[in-house]
Amino acid sequence: MTAPETKVRSLDDPTMFVDTPATIYDAIPPYPPRTEREAEFYTLRDGEMLINIGPQHPSTHGVLRVVLKIDGERIVDLDPVLGYLHRGVEKICENSDWHMVISHCDPLEYIASMFSEYVPVLAAEKLLDVTVPRRADYIRVLACELNRISSHALFMGWLALDLGGITPILYGFLERDEIVEMLAALTGQRLLFNYMRIGGVNGDLNHEFMSRLGDWMSHALRRIEDSMTLINSNEIFVGRTRGLGRIDRQTALRMCLTGPPLRATGIPYDVRRAHPYSVYPELEFEIPTREEGDSYARYLLHLDEIKQSVHIIDQVLHRIPDGPIMAKLPRLLRPRPGRAWAAIESPRGQYGVYAMSDGTDQPFRLRIHDPSFFNLQSVGLLSPGHLIADIMAIMASLDPIMGGVDK
Amino acid sequence: MEVNDPARPLPAPVEEPDGSVDRPLVVANTLWSAADPAAYDGGRPPTITHLRELELYGDRSDNARFSGSLEIIPTKADYVLDLIRANSLWPLLSGLACCAMEMMSAATSKNDMDRFGMFPFRASPRQADVLIVAGTLTTKMAGPLVRLWEEMPEPKWCVAMGDCTCSGGRYKRSYATVQGIDRVLPVDVYVPGCPPRPEGLIYGMLKLQQLIMARRGHWPERRVGPSVPAGV
Amino acid sequence: MATGLSGAWAPPCPQASRSTEGGSDLDRALARRLQTALAGHLRAPVGGRGDTTEILVDVANVADVMRTIHDDPGLRFELLADLCGVDTSTAMEVVYHLWSAGSHDWLRVVTTGLSREDPRAPSVTFLWRGAEWAEREAYDMFGIVFEGNRDLRRIYMPPDYRSFPLRKDFLLPDDASRSPGEGVRPMEAAPEPAVLTGTPADLRHAREAAR
Repeated sequence: MTAPETKVRSLDDPTMFVDTPATIYDAIPPYPPRTEREAEFYTLRDGEMLINIGPQHPSTHGVLRVVLKIDGERIVDLDPVLGYLHRGVEKICENSDWHMVISHCDPLEYIASMFSEYVPVLAAEKLLDVTVPRRADYIRVLACELNRISSHALFMGWLALDLGGITPILYGFLERDEIVEMLAALTGQRLLFNYMRIGGVNGDLNHEFMSRLGDWMSHALRRIEDSMTLINSNEIFVGRTRGLGRIDRQTALRMCLTGPPLRATGIPYDVRRAHPYSVYPELEFEIPTREEGDSYARYLLHLDEIKQSVHIIDQVLHRIPDGPIMAKLPRLLRPRPGRAWAAIESPRGQYGVYAMSDGTDQPFRLRIHDPSFFNLQSVGLLSPGHLIADIMAIMASLDPIMGGVDK
Repeated sequence: MEVNDPARPLPAPVEEPDGSVDRPLVVANTLWSAADPAAYDGGRPPTITHLRELELYGDRSDNARFSGSLEIIPTKADYVLDLIRANSLWPLLSGLACCAMEMMSAATSKNDMDRFGMFPFRASPRQADVLIVAGTLTTKMAGPLVRLWEEMPEPKWCVAMGDCTCSGGRYKRSYATVQGIDRVLPVDVYVPGCPPRPEGLIYGMLKLQQLIMARRGHWPERRVGPSVPAGV
Repeated sequence: MATGLSGAWAPPCPQASRSTEGGSDLDRALARRLQTALAGHLRAPVGGRGDTTEILVDVANVADVMRTIHDDPGLRFELLADLCGVDTSTAMEVVYHLWSAGSHDWLRVVTTGLSREDPRAPSVTFLWRGAEWAEREAYDMFGIVFEGNRDLRRIYMPPDYRSFPLRKDFLLPDDASRSPGEGVRPMEAAPEPAVLTGTPADLRHAREAAR
């Protein structure tokens, strides 16, 4: 029997013959570099290696691909590749009604979707010059702050999970489940609430929501603090996050960071105070800041923000007035032609929407500025010099949500 | 017309004598009639009674019994193997978007998937049994996802979680998403919802366990590739 | 406001936008400071409505304007809130939003003068390194080439994708440019869908040089 000509040497083991050799997927792209940065990144010096943290990885932030250039265990450079969750939301919004925009935008920041729904609503209200009833405004603040707490609780669990600690995520999810069931009693949905409406909110507070909220408020802060003391003084956690990914104020502004990463460097920029919206001018709360700017400071800042949010919810419950929950608006909305920019403070940073209207019932352009998109850029700046295991800590401490990064 | 009218008894339930479910159950409608006699095709029986695909693929469709080499006499060993496979399904961490949050919720304390054996969410496809695709599949991600599927060793199953994976969902009009993962992967269980509640996902996984025990589904006589016929 | 069946977006004229209702909240002092600092570069008087002051700048002056806005001690708009591209059907725009601690208004900088066939704009990455990805996104979605951006490649779509999705001549597959409220926009009055553009000119040359 003749030797078949199709047998080639295996690329894994050159002493073996196989029918079809394995396909080698190289981290270096098959086309010549198109930009300066790409040429610089994909040129390997002696001893350097490219490692691909592929779109599927155990870190729970979503589908993010990171190409690492490493020298031994140290990272030399880092190239994130986005777009694995790009769903074309802005284009869909251009072809939808102003009302439909709400449900297209809420999966962007999917664990804090009250915020991602709120901003296009705010932009549309600016274009329509609508006055939202005060009760609706208070309910919006209540729902947003509850969502902020659940998002922060999850963040703290995820940071620990990415560092290898599997227990705190269970506590985080326990907190989140309780809040999310509360919001499900209010809105009907656990995750993508579809609750904000142009001119108000969808449904009024009901008995089940208020009873769940009362039960939760009675032990909320204490339980979160108790579960987070698991991590705060944990030697391994502190040792791994303190001093990691330190960023100073000037660099933070140059990198267009917003939200907890910016406040952890010491700049007290919070859209709720810098450019107040809704009823935040009437509420009393502080803007927590930290000075160090490292991952540990960002983590502790989230805990501070949870406390402030509980304080806000307390005030809202005492001050909420009676009244309608929706402004009177025509069913077919035709805002005035013009431009509007609206921004709010989401758990990740400054969430903005730039809406352009041409007088029809479809937005002409709806640009969604997601904070995770800008915050994630800093990973490339902060990682070089650290070990591979530290990237996850840095990325987790910047709290990106790939739904918003990729839109 | 009363619904529970004692003068009009309900028709007898249709029973399959040999237990096979490869024929559609067609129940004659004697319970009620529409007010307008011309509605519903004027009372003519429907022309489309079952999916044509059932004929196309014969006994290789997903309603068919396993027709491999052990078809003749399923032994107790097969039963035990199925039991083992069903009760320790290890999912691959393939959370893409929002549904991943509900998948994680289903895996954590309150709705615990660990009691069904599905605790270890493996990071590597080589160690995983079931690919729960949770979240929108974009065209850029389709390549890596199919590659993950191909890297998973047999026996493997696929669960489409969420509306985006079942049919494209709220991104039906998008230029960058795959309208349902059954265009690229053979799906065993569809769990609709946007996102489905964790209990819904657990129900889907229990259905998958039933599929495995009954040896239905695409494995192992799998048509590698999409299960949506061409032209759809 | 000319909207028209072609879907072109005509901005409201700056005089009309300073309505008494909207203009009263605007920061007049900011408008004066902008007028003095950027005298030659503004193409229209400082406008705006509600809580956003708006200036209209030609694309050639963007780098100077941004540097002035960033460095001038009276302005100090140090936080770039957003950078995006816009396709009005007749031209392209790049729109920046900024915030300063010295004013309670947002500042919107609208850059006009980009053509639809070959849109080019200067990059602001020399001031804000964090604008790099936003410019990549504007390139990916519109084809706007930012000169000075060291990393202008596609960010969302795969690298071999050949169209620019957010342009107005890129139609979604279900012919979704219809509005349920306005009725069907008659397709015969809509402009001919342009041939979907390939890579911008300079990258095409680079690709051929590399070949």
